[in-house]
Amino acid sequence: MKETLLSLALFLNRSVRYQRIKQFARDLLFDSNSPFKRYFDVMIIFLVITSVFILIYEVKNPVPEWLDNYDIYFVSVIFAIEYFLRLWVHNDLSKMIISEYNDAKFLSREFNLYGVLKEGLLSKLKYMLTPSAIVDLLAILPAYRPLRVLRVFILFRVFKLLRYTKSINQFVDVLVNKKFELLTLLFLLIFIVMTSGIAIYILEADKNQNIHTLFDGLYWAIVTISTVGYGDISPVTDIGRAISILIIVSGIAMISFVTSVIVSAFSERLTELKEYRIIEQVNRSKEFLIICGYGQLTKMFFRQNRMDMKEYVILDTDEKRVELAKKDGYTAIVDDASSYTTLSQFDSTHAKMTVLCLTSSDVENIYITLNAKSISSKIKVIARVNDPASINKFKYAKADELLMPNMVANTMIYTAITQPTMYKAIHAILTGKGIANIDEIHVHHSHGIVHQKIKTLDFKSHKLLFIGIQRRGEFLFNPSEEETIQPYDILLVMGRKISLEHFKQLHEKDIYVKK
Amino acid sequence: MSKNKIAIFGYGNHGKFIAQGLLKDGFEITIIESEKEYYKCAKSDGFEKVLLLDVTNDEALKSVEIEIFSQLVCVMDDEHLNVFVTLSLRSLFKDAYILSISDSLNVTKKLKMAGANKVIDLYEVSANKIYNILEKPVATKILEDFVNHRHGITFREMLIPPNSFLDGKMVDEIDFSAYGVLLVGLIDEERGHYFEFMTAGLEHKLDSGDTMVCLGYSKDLNAFEASIKLKEQTI
Repeated sequence: MKETLLSLALFLNRSVRYQRIKQFARDLLFDSNSPFKRYFDVMIIFLVITSVFILIYEVKNPVPEWLDNYDIYFVSVIFAIEYFLRLWVHNDLSKMIISEYNDAKFLSREFNLYGVLKEGLLSKLKYMLTPSAIVDLLAILPAYRPLRVLRVFILFRVFKLLRYTKSINQFVDVLVNKKFELLTLLFLLIFIVMTSGIAIYILEADKNQNIHTLFDGLYWAIVTISTVGYGDISPVTDIGRAISILIIVSGIAMISFVTSVIVSAFSERLTELKEYRIIEQVNRSKEFLIICGYGQLTKMFFRQNRMDMKEYVILDTDEKRVELAKKDGYTAIVDDASSYTTLSQFDSTHAKMTVLCLTSSDVENIYITLNAKSISSKIKVIARVNDPASINKFKYAKADELLMPNMVANTMIYTAITQPTMYKAIHAILTGKGIANIDEIHVHHSHGIVHQKIKTLDFKSHKLLFIGIQRRGEFLFNPSEEETIQPYDILLVMGRKISLEHFKQLHEKDIYVKK
Repeated sequence: MSKNKIAIFGYGNHGKFIAQGLLKDGFEITIIESEKEYYKCAKSDGFEKVLLLDVTNDEALKSVEIEIFSQLVCVMDDEHLNVFVTLSLRSLFKDAYILSISDSLNVTKKLKMAGANKVIDLYEVSANKIYNILEKPVATKILEDFVNHRHGITFREMLIPPNSFLDGKMVDEIDFSAYGVLLVGLIDEERGHYFEFMTAGLEHKLDSGDTMVCLGYSKDLNAFEASIKLKEQTI
């Protein structure tokens, strides 16, 4: 027995196919990035909805047999398969057995199969007792025909949908946080219901024709304390009415207390939940910006209305500044970008993530840069440097681009004093105003302008100023007219935005003509 | 009024850099400070004309011979003081050319109202740079090299001297690339005192007195600047 199980475990562990199937099942059930999971989820949701719909329809109308069979067998079988798959992938028995065997061999003690088997099965049992596993199990039960009562368990199939709603999890989370208050109230409620239910039973069971059993008493107490008051059972004696008054008053107090506990729990977590949503949304996009600090530079950055805004989020540790950003109409959350947990919430593996460190403190900016780079070197960091002395530190921290507002402003003032005409030109070029927009054209190998001479491109008639070519890391300024364009060149061209767009479009078209 | 005489109000973060740059380029500089620390700093940095005065006091400002300066540059560290100085200078000296620095949009507005002829926003260009890095990284890098003279390629403005061969010619008639320079734009005095980029697509006639802004290697620019003084086109 021991030997067979061990060799089976070894066989399964070695089998590539078995491992692949198990991994596939795991992806199907849990990996939200797997393409199959989406189809699987849609199918389960469809099955649940049709099944419940049939249950409702059946109450007043006869259901064709095939539909009944579909509901009872097909849906249940799929659900059963899902249930066992979940149970199967919950843990890996074969691996546990092998690791125990290896340990035993290493320590040269006796191989204890039953211990490890017990441990593995217990863990599976524990899983079976979790609420979601119980719901899954109950959803299969209606398949047992002889007991028609079980049909009502189809309603449990609805609960399966809860797996797909995050808000329920958050709701439960909030309630769990208030466990102490809610439990205290629950015990108080049970105490009052029990005492008043028993009291009414003792006092009125012989006088009141509606109260026959203790259950009637308890039922009355619940109906009364909840202020529902059906009125099917009501006290007939003075003392019974006195008890009613007491439990009605305590009922009102308790309900308002419960409501306030839940409301306050939610309002405490509300900002957190909202922020969670924002992060979720940002993560869904392929390219996004994380802007750290909402100061003058950030404000100015947002002033560039021409920006076709990518997904972004502003992080600031100061609540006041976040409030201000929200008032200005931007998405902002209070969070510390220098902490690992904050930045690692963002998806840097699938999306192109750029971090802008724009706070006014160099220490903070360096820290954020290091933090981002430690999470993934794929994250692009553009950092603001206030003190020129710390440029080297930023370079060591591997910031991709550095910004020096003070230096830039100083150069601008200096130019404005010494060469006022040129200041206007440079300022317009740097801020890319109207006609002074400098843009780059990336030439790919099938681009229409490849192997053409600069002469033939005739930038002038397009009202463009051709400045030069960036080729393999070198910049060719104002090359001769005979120069030919090569694949992967980057052309630097100045002109009005529409001229540039027109030029780009004109030659993009050539690609399709060639094809 | 000499073109090379400049008064700088404030010797803080920005004043220091600007004053030192201007001194190197042969400008005559007078520094006016109200802080003792900065005053001492300016003195020890080798500036000769450094005045310590209470800039909030009109009488003190009047005592400076403002008329001799071509430009007044307000770069005090304290933005409130900066706006106040701009306003005082404007009210005292109607014709002065005042240049001020601002660190936010609101301050820019206030400085304009206070009568500054030109306001430079500390963050405007940098904020644009972020956008540019994100949208067109290569162009931004090269452009920055131009501005910082890193590749040896720079922008330069030049005045067309009288009797130059350029006088009276249309822009299209001149082959600028033969000189290795690019004409980026110019102030065509016939059209008004505005700077216009070549990419606006207008036909310009060059006259003496017009100012051109060219892009090119320093040595080509020097050669070009020398050759436009001549009556005959050499190339």
